[in-house]
Amino acid sequence: MADNTPHDPHVRRMDEILNEPVLDHEYDGIEELDNPLPGWWLMTFYGAIAFAVVYFTVHSIIGDNRLAERDYQQQWAAIEAQQAEQLAAQKAGLDPEALAAEVVSMAAAGKPIYDSRCAACHGGAGEGLIGPNLTDDSWIHGDGTAVPVYEVIRDGVNANGMPPWGALLSEDELKQVTGYVLSLQGSNPPNAKAPQGNKVN
Amino acid sequence: MIAEHNVTHAGSDPGELEEFTYDDQIVRYFAYATIGWGLIAFLVGLLIALQLGLWQLNFGLPWLTFGRLRPLHTNAAIFAFAGNAIFMGVYHSSQRLLKTRMFSDVLSRMHFWGWQLIIVSAAIMLPLGITQSKEYAELEWPIDIAITVVWVIFAVNFFGTIWKRRERHIYVAIWFYIATIVTVAVLHIVNSIELPYSFLRSYPVYAGVQDGLVQWWYGHNAVAFFLTTPFLGLMYYYIPKAANRPVYSYRLSIVHFWALIFIYIWAGPHHLLNTAMPEWAQTLGMIFSLMLWAPSWGGMINGLLTLRGAWQRLRTEPIIKFLVGAVTFYGMSTFEGPLLSIKAVNSLSHYTDWTIGHVHGGTLGWNGLLTFGILYYLVPKLWNTELYSKKLANVHFWLGITGTGVYMISLWVAGITQGLMWRGLTAEGKLMYPDFMETVTRIIPLYWVRALGGTMFIIGFCIMVYNLYKTMQSGRISEPQKHKARRLVSVTTLNASELGSKHRLLEGLPMVFTVLSVIAILVGSVIEIIPALVVQEFVPNDKKIKPYTALELAGRDIYVREGCYTCHSQQIRPMVSETLRYGKPSTIAESQYDRPFQWGSKRTGPDLARVGGKYPDMWHYRHMINPREIVPQSIMPNYPWLATANTDLDVISRKLQVMQTLGVPYSNDEVKQAKADALRQAEKIAAGLRAEGGVNDAELEQRELVALIAYLQRLGKNGGVE
Repeated sequence: MADNTPHDPHVRRMDEILNEPVLDHEYDGIEELDNPLPGWWLMTFYGAIAFAVVYFTVHSIIGDNRLAERDYQQQWAAIEAQQAEQLAAQKAGLDPEALAAEVVSMAAAGKPIYDSRCAACHGGAGEGLIGPNLTDDSWIHGDGTAVPVYEVIRDGVNANGMPPWGALLSEDELKQVTGYVLSLQGSNPPNAKAPQGNKVN
Repeated sequence: MIAEHNVTHAGSDPGELEEFTYDDQIVRYFAYATIGWGLIAFLVGLLIALQLGLWQLNFGLPWLTFGRLRPLHTNAAIFAFAGNAIFMGVYHSSQRLLKTRMFSDVLSRMHFWGWQLIIVSAAIMLPLGITQSKEYAELEWPIDIAITVVWVIFAVNFFGTIWKRRERHIYVAIWFYIATIVTVAVLHIVNSIELPYSFLRSYPVYAGVQDGLVQWWYGHNAVAFFLTTPFLGLMYYYIPKAANRPVYSYRLSIVHFWALIFIYIWAGPHHLLNTAMPEWAQTLGMIFSLMLWAPSWGGMINGLLTLRGAWQRLRTEPIIKFLVGAVTFYGMSTFEGPLLSIKAVNSLSHYTDWTIGHVHGGTLGWNGLLTFGILYYLVPKLWNTELYSKKLANVHFWLGITGTGVYMISLWVAGITQGLMWRGLTAEGKLMYPDFMETVTRIIPLYWVRALGGTMFIIGFCIMVYNLYKTMQSGRISEPQKHKARRLVSVTTLNASELGSKHRLLEGLPMVFTVLSVIAILVGSVIEIIPALVVQEFVPNDKKIKPYTALELAGRDIYVREGCYTCHSQQIRPMVSETLRYGKPSTIAESQYDRPFQWGSKRTGPDLARVGGKYPDMWHYRHMINPREIVPQSIMPNYPWLATANTDLDVISRKLQVMQTLGVPYSNDEVKQAKADALRQAEKIAAGLRAEGGVNDAELEQRELVALIAYLQRLGKNGGVE
């Protein structure tokens, strides 16, 4: 590096305002000072390079490029264990008669949920549209009692494109909307879709 | 008046004194183009920003939908506005820094008109859906060829100018121009290798993860070598000229230039963090982005500290305000960039509006303000007058930085809010916000704030246009001034002190300098790209995964045409919240036939990688015609024309044939019977839709919507093998 004195052959003069050496470069009137690289800047550069080396070593050499994958698998295993627990609790907890009685009492609160979540596919009055008619006495899954209806709403029907609302709605909301759906039985709305599944009565 | 320049290297055998003029007319042309295209780019941006708040703003017209206009906005902002600004500054400053007129006035004009023609054709084709749907590389093959030709014209003109220069050594601005020209050529050509199947359409030779890696090596370095290096070159000319101060540190120029171009080229994979891309490539993308921080700030420091001794002019001189504002935004963006490249941060920010905010800090703040500063500097000079109103320029400045700030902050908040909502889990291990729509409605108010920021920026721009117009009117274009400088003598006749040593020597040998620049950018390119094209883990050959059927491929091309990737990703990251929301993480093999890859980089709507089978065909049919029938608060536009337009199946055999040429295992029979196969599959879907009732369309099987449904239902299903 050039030393910072005007005696350096490449230094033309000292800058009149800053008193710093000006190099003997000039391009369309533009001159250049001979300042050294700022120390703090150089330190951030070296620091980033050092970090990069360490990170690469840890992740790609020692970690065999699998650290993120292992992390994910661990976290997902924990979620799956939680899901299995919840499923077992749900299975054990459903009492057909108690549920049937409970949902009837909650049906009124289910209407707004039905309107926002279900009407798009099952029609505003349950007459069926993309999804099946909910007002007739034919059922694709189960016998039209509270438990299977509740389960279909909660778990969805993947094959037919019915989403699992258990992910979006609380247990009470699921019960409310189950009650509302059952309350539509026999309402004979206009434009009803033809019955699908098994007739239960 | 004849200006005689200092002859700093008057050696023992000085060259002959020559008289010459500069071509400033070409600079004026590019200035007009910068202003005109800038207005269009900004207005289209504002329109699509408003569409996010009010979906009806496409007025029911296919060519005004977000998916078609977003590419027009980005291409216009980058290649039309910034591109013409670069050429304006390069043509103006290079002639002066090299003490010569441009190599050829004819080439200059071919460059100008060729570039404008490319922009016009892009502005027509993108709204028509003629697109490759690869970000910033959307333009189809005929335009790709035109870009290559025009770029070569520019390169010949520029290097010819260097060749006939009267300045022995090349200044740092010229270094940056050199790096720009050679690197953009390499990037554009490699990323645009494609096989046409018709006059205006093609498939890229790369598929899936390869296409992704090549595309983002290109895409990121479009930011690096189109929006950064040329503008740094401009900064190195216009800041010292406007401030009339020497550059802070010649040594810093050297170190940050080489570090910047060497490191930048590696950073592309940070656009694909936490995807199916092999982890070593992700790691390289991240660590090189972090190492890029200091080299970027080297440019900011050299720009800002050049103003030492002239800071008082920041208060009075609008040009200095714009230049300082630009460099400050550059510093902010180049700090934020490495931050967003950290895998953990990126897992929150990616696919959100944070990225959009970040980009606009760079484009509005850095490219925009710098261009405006240069225009305020150049127009009075080129029209031989004073700026019409400093006051208006000041108003523009404050509108510009406030607008950019409002824009960035609103999208930071939007991005972080939505990112946190996407990943939020309850104690029971369920999604806290399972309804995607809820995460959208929450940030819509911020979209309005963003549009306000953009509007402020545009109002400021319009004030500038008026100010510059009045300036031009008050001035006049005079005869070109004559300059005198000595012709360069042959290098071989110079002694060692005249040549200089170390880097100074290199600056006197521009061709060697250029070769070294090419090597600097090729190192990272080769190490990252070549494995992607040959190493087994990048070239999955999972025989169980079937290629798209003819109808699915036709549907995919509709997806590509409509620019669905501008709002929907097709890449599920290995994160618990994503598995809960979308399904298991995407694999490389799943996109092995995807030409172009459609992993996407923004989720205005949900990811679609595993949407296949999730909803019935009828759901999609109704949803595409009017999304709000199914999802009441949806902000997706209606696509009713897909239900009335017919799929072009006459070209389907040719498409499969091109795919076959590219290595997709279609049998010759499949190629031959493609149209019949497609119709058979379409009839099946149409029959299903009719059976559901409510669809009265005698030609349903012909419709584009049916082909699109076939494609959507295939996503994540891999042709039967899940």
